[in-house]
Amino acid sequence: MSVAFDRAWRVCATGFCFAMFGIGGTFLSLTLFPLLRVTAGSRARAQPVIRSALRQAFRLFVGLMRTLGLLTYEVRGRERLLPGGQLIVANHPTLIDVVFLLSLVPDATCVVKRGLWHNPFLRGPVAWAGYIPNSDSEALIRDCSATLRAGHSLVMFPEGSRTVADQPMQLKRGAAQIAIASAAPVLPVVIACEPLTLTKANPWYRVPLRRPHFIIAVGAPLAASLLLEGGPPSIAARHLTQHLAALFARGVQVQGQPVPLPVTNAPGVESPSL
Amino acid sequence: MQTENQILEQVRRVLVELFEIDPTRIQPQARLYDDLDIDSLDAIDLILELKELTGRKVQPEQFKHVRTVGDVVAAVGNLLRDENAA
Repeated sequence: MSVAFDRAWRVCATGFCFAMFGIGGTFLSLTLFPLLRVTAGSRARAQPVIRSALRQAFRLFVGLMRTLGLLTYEVRGRERLLPGGQLIVANHPTLIDVVFLLSLVPDATCVVKRGLWHNPFLRGPVAWAGYIPNSDSEALIRDCSATLRAGHSLVMFPEGSRTVADQPMQLKRGAAQIAIASAAPVLPVVIACEPLTLTKANPWYRVPLRRPHFIIAVGAPLAASLLLEGGPPSIAARHLTQHLAALFARGVQVQGQPVPLPVTNAPGVESPSL
Repeated sequence: MQTENQILEQVRRVLVELFEIDPTRIQPQARLYDDLDIDSLDAIDLILELKELTGRKVQPEQFKHVRTVGDVVAAVGNLLRDENAA
């Protein structure tokens, strides 16, 4: 009986959080961000401040989700996230991966789906924060490398969209190409969620039987030898991408404990504990 | 003057060298993007390498409509022919 109540509560709370996310983003875009822009004097000076404000907003939102009993989470290897132009590459099991990462990484921008600029709730924040729309072009590589060299961190999901269960991960090479072009430190992050929620397969109201636990595990920076292989960059990018895929599949070794990737969860099936 | 097969062989060598593609998959009808996983950044590297191969300046516009290995071979053939005609 209480399991059913807990689940019903989480459905309501999830809906509430979705609404808060949309309304919150719109509100910030109409009030705080324009104010910060005006007080900063220029777009260039405003953007780091806006990103910092957005990071705090994401932190509050993660806190809200936890307070409402929607999830628990832990971050491992957080001390590795340092200011100054790191390339953060993560796997992408759930809808809220980017919220966690952007709440953690200082001064970060993000490569996001081009479609978000047409989303009425999200286009405000992504434009104000100066996030980078995804594209399959060398302009993306150039812009991202420039951002990293300027000392801003960049969050990327090489899969491009959320992981599809029961299929090997398909990583695109863009992140690897940017890593090689920019020579920035690359930090792999494994995001695990048990039981899985907010995946590509399940609608938002199909909440899992019990409260999910997220583990965000930040790995050590990749060895420079992976970026400076010495052969053609096109081959280096392929090798680096394969390395990342293997890494995500294995789980990142943080403090000696591998973080396994989430197992699939069909509705109504209990997943084994981590 | 190179035959089409000779050009195909050279293109095949370049594709293997640049992208580690299995040579048996490099056939004239193979599509660069869909079959051989050659993205737009790779295409730039490919064009630069073909410039070396032909010893001729290559305009990216000449490769705008290139979709298959066969198209690449044809484009290279055109470049070499232009060189001879000059």
